[in-house]
Amino acid sequence: MQKYFISHSFKFTQVMILAMVVSLTFVGCEDFDLDEDPGQSQLAVLPYESIAEMELAVTGMFNRVHRALWMTTSFASSWGGDDLTTHRASNKADFREYDQRSVSTGNARLAGTWNGCYNAIRAANTIIVNSMGVTLADQAKQNQLTGEAYFIRGYLFQHLARNFGQIPLVLDIAPDFEIGLASQAEVYAQIESDYATAESLLPAQSTLGGTRPNAGTARAFLARLYMDWAGYPLNDAGKYSQAASSAKQVIDNSASHGFALVPDMATLYTLAGSQNSEGVFTLSHCQPCGHPNRKTGKLGLPGDFGGWQESFAEIRFFEDFPEGPRKEATYHTTVPLDENGRVTADVANAATLLPWTEFKDQQNPIFRKIVGPFEDNIFNDFQASRSDYLMRYAEVLLTYAEATGRSGGDTPDAWEALNMVRRRAEGLPANSPDPSVDITAGDLAELAYTERKWELAGEYLRWYDLVRMERVEQALGGTARNPQVSIGTAFDADGNASPMPLTVPSNPILGSLSPDAYFSPLPPDEVAQLPNLGK
Amino acid sequence: MYTNRLWLVCSALLISHLALGQVDISGKVTDEDNAPLQGASIVVEGTTVGVLTDADGSFSLSAPDENSVLKITYIGFADQRITIGSERAFSIAMAVAASSLDEIVVIGYGTAKKSDLTGAVSRVTADSYEAQPLTRVEDALQGRAPGVIVARANGQPGANFKVRIRGVNSITGNNSPLIVVDGVQGADLSSLNPNDIETIDVLKDASATAIYGVRGSNGVIIVTTKKGSGPGKIAVDYFMTVSEVPDLLPTLADNPADFARLENLRRINVGGNPNFTDAEIAALEQNGGTNYQEEIFQTGISNNLQISASGSEGRLNYFISGIYRDQEGTVINTGFNQLSLRSNLSAKVNDRLTVSLNLYANRDKTQNDFGFAGNGQGSLVAKALTWDPTTPVFDDNGEFNFRSIKGIASLNDNPVRTLTLSDAQFTDELLTSALNVDVKITDDLTYTLTTGTQLRNFNNETYDVEVGDDFLPHTAFRNNKSTSFQISNILTWQREFDVHDIKLTGVQEFVNNQNIVNGWNANDLSLPRGFYFAELAPNAGQTITNNFNERELSSFMLRAEYILDNNLYVTATGRYDGTSVFREDQRWGFFPSVAVGYSLNSLVGNSDFLTSMKLRAGWGQVGNQNVGPYSTFGGLGFNSYAFDFASAEAGTVLTSFENEDLTWETTTQTNIGLDFGFLNDRANATVEFFVKNTTDLLLATPVPAAFGGGIINRNVGEVQNIGVDLGLGYTIIQNDNVTWDANLSASWVQNEVTKLYNDLEQINGLFTSPGGQSRVLNIIEVGQPLGQFQGSTFLGTWKTAEADQAAEFGRAPGDPKYLRDEDGEIVFGAIGNGTPEFVWGFNNGVTVGNWDLNIFLQGMHGFDVYNIQQAMITGGAGDSRSFMASDQVNQWTPTNETDIPATVQFYNSSRYIEKGDFIRLSNINLAYTFSNLFNNPNLTVQLYASSQNLFLITDYTGYDPELSSRKGNQGIEDVAPGINIGAYPNPRNYSFGAKIGF
Repeated sequence: MQKYFISHSFKFTQVMILAMVVSLTFVGCEDFDLDEDPGQSQLAVLPYESIAEMELAVTGMFNRVHRALWMTTSFASSWGGDDLTTHRASNKADFREYDQRSVSTGNARLAGTWNGCYNAIRAANTIIVNSMGVTLADQAKQNQLTGEAYFIRGYLFQHLARNFGQIPLVLDIAPDFEIGLASQAEVYAQIESDYATAESLLPAQSTLGGTRPNAGTARAFLARLYMDWAGYPLNDAGKYSQAASSAKQVIDNSASHGFALVPDMATLYTLAGSQNSEGVFTLSHCQPCGHPNRKTGKLGLPGDFGGWQESFAEIRFFEDFPEGPRKEATYHTTVPLDENGRVTADVANAATLLPWTEFKDQQNPIFRKIVGPFEDNIFNDFQASRSDYLMRYAEVLLTYAEATGRSGGDTPDAWEALNMVRRRAEGLPANSPDPSVDITAGDLAELAYTERKWELAGEYLRWYDLVRMERVEQALGGTARNPQVSIGTAFDADGNASPMPLTVPSNPILGSLSPDAYFSPLPPDEVAQLPNLGK
Repeated sequence: MYTNRLWLVCSALLISHLALGQVDISGKVTDEDNAPLQGASIVVEGTTVGVLTDADGSFSLSAPDENSVLKITYIGFADQRITIGSERAFSIAMAVAASSLDEIVVIGYGTAKKSDLTGAVSRVTADSYEAQPLTRVEDALQGRAPGVIVARANGQPGANFKVRIRGVNSITGNNSPLIVVDGVQGADLSSLNPNDIETIDVLKDASATAIYGVRGSNGVIIVTTKKGSGPGKIAVDYFMTVSEVPDLLPTLADNPADFARLENLRRINVGGNPNFTDAEIAALEQNGGTNYQEEIFQTGISNNLQISASGSEGRLNYFISGIYRDQEGTVINTGFNQLSLRSNLSAKVNDRLTVSLNLYANRDKTQNDFGFAGNGQGSLVAKALTWDPTTPVFDDNGEFNFRSIKGIASLNDNPVRTLTLSDAQFTDELLTSALNVDVKITDDLTYTLTTGTQLRNFNNETYDVEVGDDFLPHTAFRNNKSTSFQISNILTWQREFDVHDIKLTGVQEFVNNQNIVNGWNANDLSLPRGFYFAELAPNAGQTITNNFNERELSSFMLRAEYILDNNLYVTATGRYDGTSVFREDQRWGFFPSVAVGYSLNSLVGNSDFLTSMKLRAGWGQVGNQNVGPYSTFGGLGFNSYAFDFASAEAGTVLTSFENEDLTWETTTQTNIGLDFGFLNDRANATVEFFVKNTTDLLLATPVPAAFGGGIINRNVGEVQNIGVDLGLGYTIIQNDNVTWDANLSASWVQNEVTKLYNDLEQINGLFTSPGGQSRVLNIIEVGQPLGQFQGSTFLGTWKTAEADQAAEFGRAPGDPKYLRDEDGEIVFGAIGNGTPEFVWGFNNGVTVGNWDLNIFLQGMHGFDVYNIQQAMITGGAGDSRSFMASDQVNQWTPTNETDIPATVQFYNSSRYIEKGDFIRLSNINLAYTFSNLFNNPNLTVQLYASSQNLFLITDYTGYDPELSSRKGNQGIEDVAPGINIGAYPNPRNYSFGAKIGF
């Protein structure tokens, strides 16, 4: 052993040195650099240096707008309207709470609306902050992109204000834990400023249907804002004239903005017709891209046919709805079934057309606007590439008519705007005067207000009309929603049917209908994190 | 006393066997100092001839012939074997056995004698688990190391285990311990072959873990793999396992006619019409329905083959092993297979230089891990439990029924279809190497170089048919490639001067990890042909995922160990770490520790019972850098949007926030331990008490939703863990025929969140209820342990007498009643906790002749289970539209006002909180060893039969309280333990095997 050691001892030092050299080489090869370089795989938040960066940010913002609005969640308030109702049991408690005007602070849709909208507002603020003071080569493009960010922020603030009333006005990226609620007037002033800035920066025309907003889109939303401003809670009636003039400005420039009524209203609620001239601001959905619309299809179908039974039509509203092509475009009164009793897209060869009054689980008419024409074959899908009209040109026309009336005006233009919508509702050419439907006298404001009721039914807008005019009690209270004429069906244990008059709405009112309960409570988690919101 | 009596009995037995010997011998047995040993056992090997020594240490017996071998044993002394030969009178001096305290324990960057330890280290050796057919290293740790809590995530083959040392520190960070294999850090226990492992040493207190500095705060598990020595040996171990789900849960699927009646009632109660006619109900009564539990569960058969060769040849030691296993799950079309190879080679180049290289390659594959299917509406098990029992698996044409025919019960896809047609293959490929160079520079000074590399490819190929209403399949591919290397330079200097023994260890180290993720999704395949047809997806359905990150750690460590006269032991360490994940000013941290041990043997005196005693006390600080790379930077993430309904464009959005001040979290731990030896170390006990405070938590604090939500990493919050670890070992019986070793390991931990931030008393967790009821199920509360469950308090039903009161809240008799506050709002608060307080394992090995029996019991106590799975079975809400619970037949009616609601209910209520306490027979194994087969003394064959999870004692009503289930992105598991949304059941296994050695 000793011998061995001696014979090898001369190697030992060499080996040791070699080992140390090897180890140090390993260390030496690698830069001993503990500074991170996130730029290898991640874009930093910095003022924009190119249009490409800014375009990415704007597309990213629209992704967030989509994420905020793709489900019924952010529209849950609208179940308060007298047009929409939901299943009386099942898992629709969040929607029922709005339907029954008894919204608890734990309602998940309340937080969902808040979170979704503010998340998209951050995306808009990112663009506004990072383009501030920056001048890029393509000035026109930069203006357009900046304008889109301002428009989106204004839209989302307004959506939040319509749900919650007073809100915090978040205009920067960095969290401010001291932030409190802005006054209602401050909220409206900020929205007005955002829309006006957007209008000044946006081009006159953009994409078909306003999937990207243009200057006309921004002005049309200013008209909507002034209607809200003139109504509850500020009741600043002076704003009606601004609403009228803004709507008029959009109408006068409708050709340059590319806005017009489509001839057949029914095409608006089809896959093929999703992008059209009537969209003032349309939310585009692309199901295969992972950006679907989850408000349509089976969400409006009853459980009898595997539907989600989330969005049903109120019976009384349906009964009162004037007959005609518009009603047919709005509702399905029957469901086409094949010989196995399943819903079929082959309507022409359906074995039976089952009336809504013979549904087994819950008898309510179906919104065609939601389920789509059966031929479109999205009735069995909870996700589709259908559009959402965040505003249609028809609303601009009716806003003009109503705002003109409410500000004491009575112009032929205003009557014509109203009549265009009425003619189309009857399946007549919108631009051709027709004495059989045209009206030119009466309470213009109220006629237009009622026309909105029918025209915009099931589009999540009716509730806000009730709120701004303080007519919630009138629309929902007492027997206002009790069906008058509909005869449903009772089935016995053997499946035998017998007629049963429908006399009460699907979901009774449980909460307060007074104005102090119009707005949703703030999400409690948010108040816990930002205590000044509770003050 | 007990043992003395036992000796008498044994003596009597032995004396009766003193039969017709042909060689009469006698002798005396003494200790090293020539003092006689009374009661020493002398047995003629291979016979029942034996005798005990008398008070003088004398014995005499008759052996069969001169070739007989005497085996002399005495507790506390080393066994001796003597061939009789021509001798007739023997003078036998027994040497004191190497005590268990002389065992060498791995303490990181070196070793120490167990008797010299100052810190808290638990050791698990192969002896304690080799009697259990193991597929996982975590199984070996579970219940065998005091202070270590191991919980199985679920019963899927290949599923994760949660391993925690002395409680949990982090609220949003990772609480897994650092794994060190053969000196290389950052390994994963799940991919190791348990057969390759020699020892597992668990460093628990800060004085032990401080040497790992900023990676030490969750404890350290040091795995040492086997080395070969002696003549070449081949070991073959084969076992087959039959697995089954212990018990199906009762649901109304057991009685579909009742299901149909209740479904009718459910609808009639809210003004609807019946869904089933009387004729349909009669048919269900007669023909039954489909119980989807029976449809998705199966008996799984698994095969395991392990082979190793080991030994030494001259200056070369080798250990080479391989394993192949193929496991079938207890759920159809699920399984796991694994192939791994190891080569540990060590060469003593010369007397001063030893080089060793350990290589390990592993490939395993999990088929249809439940994670592939969306858990948003509960797992596939939850879906089977809630699926419509009146819809058969197949329609009349033999095609799958996609959904419930009547649109009732679960709204999800047929789980049998999902499991049969989907194909998700998760492949994990690992190649690790550990190179050690040991240079003895002088007799006192040693230099060691440890370098390790790890290459890991985690590859996920998913073909998923549970995709939505269009039923167009989705495919997803992810490849996660991580590469890491470590270089450690270690210098050790040790010298003894009279009564002083000093050892210094210095370390310089560098660690680098790179992580690359590439992947794509291709959705809506036009033909349902499988994963490799992803090209059939439309362009709009194709998206890519791509990421890279890197982290580095640079460290220096110094440790001083001092022993005074084998009485006083002092260890002091300091580690200085710099990590790339923090900014320059916040990067470097110093982590000190000091520990003292003092032998109290002088107090013990000459007691026969208590033979040794030692007190240990230590204090130290360790860190946690567990945030992802680039966490201190704000950054943009990618997304997309289509403005034209058809083609998506790339977009970016702000997803993370900058925090330049972020730094490590610090855990300060104090440990006091007492080690006892009894009856000459025939029994030993270790009791340790610890207090662990974690401050400056690396907490992912939520950004208020008004500012867009998401998280900012901040150093806020504090968590405390106080606990006791107890280890007891006792050789209850030891004589020539029978030995019975028993080991008890117990851990008690009290966890408490002591501080949050911004004066918050509580923050919501991230685990939301499945199935359309998106309420948060967990909560973090100051003054409470992590793992608080949040929900409403269930008070039964509204009764007819309370109709008016109920109406104020819009409720009616028969509706569920929940606790409300003064404003009439339902109160949602803490209603239970899922973190166990007390965990134990009790291991028994009994050897009688050639028979070996192992019985291993385990228990967990002091925790609740949030049985959301039962809430979904109860149903009537969410995506479980119908009532499915067996007790629903006793639901409230006007004439029988029970507390079972007849209408829609919350999932998140105290109705579904259950006690989780359980005792499990984790292993029972009976083995018989044939030795000297075919006259070949080197050949041994052991046959064994065993069962795992043979019984479970618990009041819990689900499959198994140990399991919990996860949804994606729901926060860390330690903040949401015990929430069950349909965990893959834990199987009961029966194994049969053979171990052959030659």
